[in-house]
Amino acid sequence: MTNAIELAGAGKRFTKYEDTPMILTSALRVRNRTRREQLWAVRGVDLEVAEGESFGIIGRNGSGKSTLMTMMAGITAPTEGSVRVWGRVAPLISVGVGFHRELTGRENIYVNGAILGLSRREITDRLESVIDFAGIEGFIDTPVKFYSSGMYVRLGFSVAVHAQPQVLLVDEVLAVGDLAFQVKCFEKMNELRREGTTIVMVSHHLGAVRRMCGRVLVVDRGIPRFLGEAPEAIAAFHEILSSSTEVLEDHGSGTRFEPGVVAVRSAELLGADGEPTGHVEAGEPVSVRLRAEALTDIEEVVVGITLFAPDGTPVYADSNALEPFQDLGAGTELTCTLSFRAQLPTGSYTAVLRVDRGDLRTNLAQSPTISFFVTGRHTVAGHADLEARIAREEPVRR
Amino acid sequence: MLATAPTIDLQGESTSPGRLARQLWEARELFLILSRKEFHVRYRRASFGILWALALPLLQAAVLALVFSKVAHIRAAPHYAVFVLAGMAPWSYFSMTISAGSTAVVDSTDLSSKVYFPRAVLPLAQLAANLYGYLVTVAIVLLLCPLFHVGLGPAALLLLPASILLLALTAGFCLTASALHVYFRDVRYIVSAALMVWFYVTPVVYPAGDASGKLRLLLELNPMTGILDLFRTATVGGVGPMAVPVLISLAWTLGLLTTATLLHCRYQRVFADLL
Repeated sequence: MTNAIELAGAGKRFTKYEDTPMILTSALRVRNRTRREQLWAVRGVDLEVAEGESFGIIGRNGSGKSTLMTMMAGITAPTEGSVRVWGRVAPLISVGVGFHRELTGRENIYVNGAILGLSRREITDRLESVIDFAGIEGFIDTPVKFYSSGMYVRLGFSVAVHAQPQVLLVDEVLAVGDLAFQVKCFEKMNELRREGTTIVMVSHHLGAVRRMCGRVLVVDRGIPRFLGEAPEAIAAFHEILSSSTEVLEDHGSGTRFEPGVVAVRSAELLGADGEPTGHVEAGEPVSVRLRAEALTDIEEVVVGITLFAPDGTPVYADSNALEPFQDLGAGTELTCTLSFRAQLPTGSYTAVLRVDRGDLRTNLAQSPTISFFVTGRHTVAGHADLEARIAREEPVRR
Repeated sequence: MLATAPTIDLQGESTSPGRLARQLWEARELFLILSRKEFHVRYRRASFGILWALALPLLQAAVLALVFSKVAHIRAAPHYAVFVLAGMAPWSYFSMTISAGSTAVVDSTDLSSKVYFPRAVLPLAQLAANLYGYLVTVAIVLLLCPLFHVGLGPAALLLLPASILLLALTAGFCLTASALHVYFRDVRYIVSAALMVWFYVTPVVYPAGDASGKLRLLLELNPMTGILDLFRTATVGGVGPMAVPVLISLAWTLGLLTTATLLHCRYQRVFADLL
């Protein structure tokens, strides 16, 4: 079987500027160039994707998966190693690439098609089915600036799949658009897959990856960590998530870890009766108890929690950052409980507690992962149970 | 069946000149569509549409001719109105194209950060988009000549090489500036500042012979001087020997095109990192 994509030792390094480079400041900075930080977004990736394969890439935000995708699309060149792709590539890095607001839908189909490598004639031949699939017949001669975001996405996806790519690169785009269209997209991608199109998909949506992909690559902090069948890869990804020291990825990107200040002794989930438990009913009051010990004197300590949904998405994070614990002397035992109500749908959840310095820039310790299962109310779906009350108002006789 | 040669083959950041040329050829369809898009978008919202493409340079030429002949009393050329218009045609093409072309790569971020095509297509599309207005202005110059009793001789054929030189110079400038602009965002402002000064050191409203001293030197180094000389020789005439200015234009053109090629070959694959 021939390969559609080959990466050999591929890596991408970015130069992180403090601000956009300016002629004057960069000229003055010639001597101490080291100030410009260089970061490897992704490194050491060896990968072969066979023709017709459906391949997934998963990882947290900033793990380098999108950089991998941009290299496969040829948008940026690797700093080291090589990237090779055979066949026409349609990148769905973001739908509606090259859509110009002032141009009509029809005109944009031509621009977008040309970008994907179609000739004018080929576009004209496909025009009908592109419009039809996108379901925007009535608006095709309207400038796209008047389109709803859903219409925008549908048109973009439609052009991309009608370009008959040999390699389709999909980056998180299916998260947008309405449900009916998402279903349609999946069907279309399945159809393309049956026809032998190679599909590479980057997603946070582990369910979609499980459904669509055979093999999956897990990347973490720019390093390939696991390559294998989807279920094992997803398990490996969960493993990485739970052993991670950087839980709050959105807040945690700028934090550094300082060992030897606080040691976590235990962390456990307590049920409504105050006894340790692993099973919770939706809406039940629960608490997480953390025991930790200060190894040195610390001025201010913030304790925080992050709760992860079954698919690894952080659903809730909070801390006592506004009222930190004050003045812990060396040897002090810190015991605290975080109480909340498990307003969650059914599934197995994980929680991690972290202890930070008062400035929130330094992480001092992290608890082991606490796992528990929630039996949700059976009408609830999604990531949270907001306990909607659905009441009918008394009919008023007029 | 897939072709044996990979469609994307990346190893190192640079692209060889041969490969870049091949990619540009393969992107010709995209180039045409993008040029058309540029052209349409520019005048779409205006009721007079593309009429503006020629109205603006004509109006500017008329104002300049009036101001400089009646107020500043420049009467060096016998047919001043045609003289100014023959200068305005290449100048307005040049200035309009480089102000949009120098920033073309950065301005198309939503395109270039999401899909690959040779980035040189973007500034080149600006060149093509302005071509229509240019051709119409040149046609108007030619129509006005008999009206102002300027006889057109075989020298008018010089308009063809003159136009080619103009296009090549503009291309060299836009390609170079658009690559630099990715790394130095000041380029946008430098170009618009330079254009303001550049207009006055280019013999658009006065004959090159009128200049003296430092202005003279700037005029002689200016690549636009030779091109304007060619346009005047082709229409109103009376320019005198122009071999040296034309050679200087040619040297600038080749220099800029070489620089542009080097810059694009080295950096175009990683432009997207900074967009």
